[in-house]
Amino acid sequence: MTATPSAANQPRASALGANRSFILRGIVLTIVVAGFMSLGNVNIGAIGQGLGYALAGVTVFMTFRVLGFVDLTVDGAFPIGGAACAILIVNGHSPEYAMLMGFVAGALTGLATALIDIIFKIEGLLASIIVITAAYTVTLHVMAGKSNIPLLGEETLISRYSKDFRTWLVEQFGDQMRRQSTNLLEIILFGLIVLFVLGILYWFLRTEFGLAIRATGKNPQMVRATGLNHNLMIIVGLMVANGLAGVAGSLVVQQFGFADVSLGFGLIVRGLAAVIIGEVLLRPRTVGQLLIAAVTGMLVFDISRAWIFSALDLPTTDIQFVSALVVLAALGAPRLYDRWKSYRQRFGG
Amino acid sequence: MLSLDHVSVTFNAGTPNEVRALDDISLLVEDGEFITVIGSNGAGKSTLFNVISGAVEPQNGRIELDREDITYWPEHRRSHDIGRVFQDPRLGTCPGLTIRENLSLAAIHGRSAGLRRDVKKAEEAWFFEQLERQHLGLEHRLDADVALLSGGQRQAITLVMATLTKPKLLLLDEHTAALDPNAAEQVISLTQELAQANDLCVVMITHSMQQACDLGDRVIMMNRGKIVFEIAGEERRSLKPADLIDRFHSLQDGTELSDAQLLA
Repeated sequence: MTATPSAANQPRASALGANRSFILRGIVLTIVVAGFMSLGNVNIGAIGQGLGYALAGVTVFMTFRVLGFVDLTVDGAFPIGGAACAILIVNGHSPEYAMLMGFVAGALTGLATALIDIIFKIEGLLASIIVITAAYTVTLHVMAGKSNIPLLGEETLISRYSKDFRTWLVEQFGDQMRRQSTNLLEIILFGLIVLFVLGILYWFLRTEFGLAIRATGKNPQMVRATGLNHNLMIIVGLMVANGLAGVAGSLVVQQFGFADVSLGFGLIVRGLAAVIIGEVLLRPRTVGQLLIAAVTGMLVFDISRAWIFSALDLPTTDIQFVSALVVLAALGAPRLYDRWKSYRQRFGG
Repeated sequence: MLSLDHVSVTFNAGTPNEVRALDDISLLVEDGEFITVIGSNGAGKSTLFNVISGAVEPQNGRIELDREDITYWPEHRRSHDIGRVFQDPRLGTCPGLTIRENLSLAAIHGRSAGLRRDVKKAEEAWFFEQLERQHLGLEHRLDADVALLSGGQRQAITLVMATLTKPKLLLLDEHTAALDPNAAEQVISLTQELAQANDLCVVMITHSMQQACDLGDRVIMMNRGKIVFEIAGEERRSLKPADLIDRFHSLQDGTELSDAQLLA
């Protein structure tokens, strides 16, 4: 990187340059991942699943990176959002309304964590563990005392369009597409929803309020000195972030065809992995790039996990172990690389 | 106009570690007045600032700004009227955000943050003009990340941010102590310029006797939570650093004050 004074004097040109290299990395990554998927025989269902979980990755990005708040609430917000969505769908409400309520349910868990942190001065890590514990019971109550709610035969976002989509797909591309029709439909629907939510979030983070939230994570002292209530920023930030986890839960519930009380297990680790994978692979700088990177990270996570599964031909019982391995690789690889670099510097070569 | 009326602050009250950080302090700062505060470490200078800015609540006394009682206002609320610059250049600006975003944040000062666009086209000329006055060339780098700037540059931006929306009071907490002599000089002249241009009430903590003599209308010396002397008027105009150090020695009240501490 050469930072000449003349380059510094042309901020617009350099901002464009940063965008260009980001897009370039994105294209290279897409080609590599696509290659892996076709060579490793990975089902495109992994993309749909990644998109379903993607907004939970954005939750972790919002809390850890934007707010600088160590928040595990996502583990509770995700199943509670899914449970709220499922019970509303079962009771005959539209999937859109159910998902909106999924957002509200997630946002309320975020609010609980924020209030515990602010009122009792309990740090985020502990506050969110308390909230997750309580949320488990609340989730069970939301699901009317059952630990599992099947959505079979109910109108979900996917089942609403699946028949028409399959017919259309077979008409257009022949009978061999029949098998992939649900996967493709998920990718399209979830892709649109994720893009829509990212658009709103991007707009929000670029408002004055969003700017104050971004500053809160970097320098709370300054935010107070600027006359802004930094507690309010934490409350709103955590509510929005965990609301997104609720939406992700709603999507995944509709994808799986059931809601389950243990759906959020280990989600925080997965979200962290997504954020770090996105950062390492895409090196995002601006707000928009960071949001895209978090989603991309979740996709890469799910695809590489699916790839490992098909390559090693593992049974589904091993899923959490493989998840942990992928997370370890995502967290550990950059550190190992740094150590290798300094080792090479010291001993030449 | 800032007034402190018999303000006291005690830390760890009732324990063996009890510290009387501010001991019945009364102080009046008139509009447009520039005061420098000196004193050894632990004299209560920073506590004085914290109690004015709301980071610390006093046990006794009353604080007024423009005849409004702000004693129990939360920190962020009184920040509407009080601009602050800290010793650590990293505290006043926000890394990871651009210069433009930092200034936009400061421009929100005095109203609440809404859903307007964070960076506004209309403010660009205003920011450019404010930064241009510093002659640091930062007006051309509005989109640079603040984390890339030097301590002096960040402190200069903090000063502009603190005075952008014309607060009633400006608090400077040894804001040149962490800078190299060149940068310190630049920041000091910028401070004078901004204080005069905005007719601000300024209170500045310093460890530099030279700065205490060169800047402002009045010198206040603090020791053990009390104001031990004030120098103003004719005496202040002819004041030299050596005089201040002499005054310091003449205190002789059995405290552990030393030149080394004073000039540290």
